[in-house]
Amino acid sequence: MTRRAAPLLLILPAALVLTVFLLIPYFNIVLMSVRMPGNGVPYAPGWTLGNFAKFFADPFYLEQLGNTLWIGAVTTLACLVIGYPVALQLARGSGALRGLRYGIVLTPLLVGIVIRSYGWTILLGNNGVINRSLVGWGLIEAPLPLMYNGLGIIIALTHVLLPFMILPIMGAIQGIDPALELAARSLGAGRNTAFRRVVVPLSLPGIQAGCILVFVLAISAYVTPALIGGLRVKTAAVSVVDALIDSFQWPFGSAMALILAVIGGGVVLGFARATRMAWVRRR
Amino acid sequence: MKSVRAVVFNAYCWVVYGFLLAPIAVVVLASFNSGAFLTFPPQGLSLRWYYVFFDNEVFWRAIRTSLWVAAVATVISGAVGTAAAIFQVRYAGRGKEAVRMAMLAPLLLPEVLTAIALLFFVYGLGIGTKGMVGLLAGHLLVTLPFVFMNVAASLESFEPDWDLAARSLGAGRWARFRRVMLPMIKPGVIGGCLFAFIISFDTFTMSFLLKSVGTATLPIQLYDYLRTNFTPEAAAVSSFSVILTLVVVVVSEKLLGLKIRRF
Repeated sequence: MTRRAAPLLLILPAALVLTVFLLIPYFNIVLMSVRMPGNGVPYAPGWTLGNFAKFFADPFYLEQLGNTLWIGAVTTLACLVIGYPVALQLARGSGALRGLRYGIVLTPLLVGIVIRSYGWTILLGNNGVINRSLVGWGLIEAPLPLMYNGLGIIIALTHVLLPFMILPIMGAIQGIDPALELAARSLGAGRNTAFRRVVVPLSLPGIQAGCILVFVLAISAYVTPALIGGLRVKTAAVSVVDALIDSFQWPFGSAMALILAVIGGGVVLGFARATRMAWVRRR
Repeated sequence: MKSVRAVVFNAYCWVVYGFLLAPIAVVVLASFNSGAFLTFPPQGLSLRWYYVFFDNEVFWRAIRTSLWVAAVATVISGAVGTAAAIFQVRYAGRGKEAVRMAMLAPLLLPEVLTAIALLFFVYGLGIGTKGMVGLLAGHLLVTLPFVFMNVAASLESFEPDWDLAARSLGAGRWARFRRVMLPMIKPGVIGGCLFAFIISFDTFTMSFLLKSVGTATLPIQLYDYLRTNFTPEAAAVSSFSVILTLVVVVVSEKLLGLKIRRF
């Protein structure tokens, strides 16, 4: 064996794993999306674009897609608003509590989805902690619908996706030279101005990365909407699994999955482009 | 004035930390319930439901399955991911970014779509979900990026000169890897493997779609249980799982001084 070829052996196992278990199966999904729907069998012989046409002709699916994108957008915004101050504190803070805080930020990622959803059921259900407390204190008459709707999905998604917003922003803020803020202050900027004109613009790459991650993960999330949304509110990803697993419509389910992926990717690209332009103009 | 701002800012952050902990905290608190039904706050404290859970063979079988799948997935992705990381950092040259993206692809693609793709694949091969091939492949895919990221990060601080020094002293390729590189990147390898283990132990989507009869992992068993039962036993099982994860993380942080990287 030549000296040059030897390092390739290092990447070979990973390349095999990714090709066999990722590339080929995904290619298969693309093929599946243009197969003929079957009757009683997953698919029939022949090829068609009808699966895509069926999706775009049905207002039900279009509305569901719209809802999914809306839930993704609200979740992203909520993560940004809730997460930015925490990212700032983690980036600038020091001392004994920092490790603890960092650990708390990671907890949603370390605890399984079933357990988290179970916790939300205890908190948000009609008989849950929040509703019973509010009724008990006489603040409301009847339980508020916090679960089995879009609100519940947004709350649970915001919870689990917060780390994906906080960590990139924290990284971006850590990369800002503190001298820049001090320079702004010494030139007469107040605390707020220095923050708004120096720290926020320089943390924009972190914000962009965080928003993209959260949005992509939110619109493609399956388990959280399935468990928290119940049967009434379905996101597009839940519908995809229903079509594929429950009603055995492999071609149509595959087409739906591809449409969701392409539209999600399109939104992300558009967002990346728009935000990059916005902060180039600023400079 | 400044201190008021600081107090408000701090309070806000602690509310967020409370939000992050809330769903997990209520589950742990509910597990100490002494009543027959899940009520919150608990009616009296007891370990009653832990005893029920410790006697329940169904959950133990699920825990054994989970540990087994996680161990196999971790060993394979540990080896495959470490090799790939060494290639990416040291030999990929101009293809560095492309290799990185490919290795992180399982993380960036929707997990549910990957699971469905794998499901079709195993049906296409004719083996279906009978064996554990699909399940293990799924767990391998979700754990691989974590090993890769952790090892690649620790390799960035590895000086090629050390390798050259060992080489000039006559060390062969394998000796250089085992005696020079491996000790330097050990924290990354161990950290990545621990994280891979936790991810595999907790993952739901892959297991849910690719499980076969008799291969329910703990999250699947818990999910099945919760659909029909409302006793605090589920809370006890959940708390056990949370504590297991916590022990792994704390031990790795304290004893090995590792920084586990999630990204």
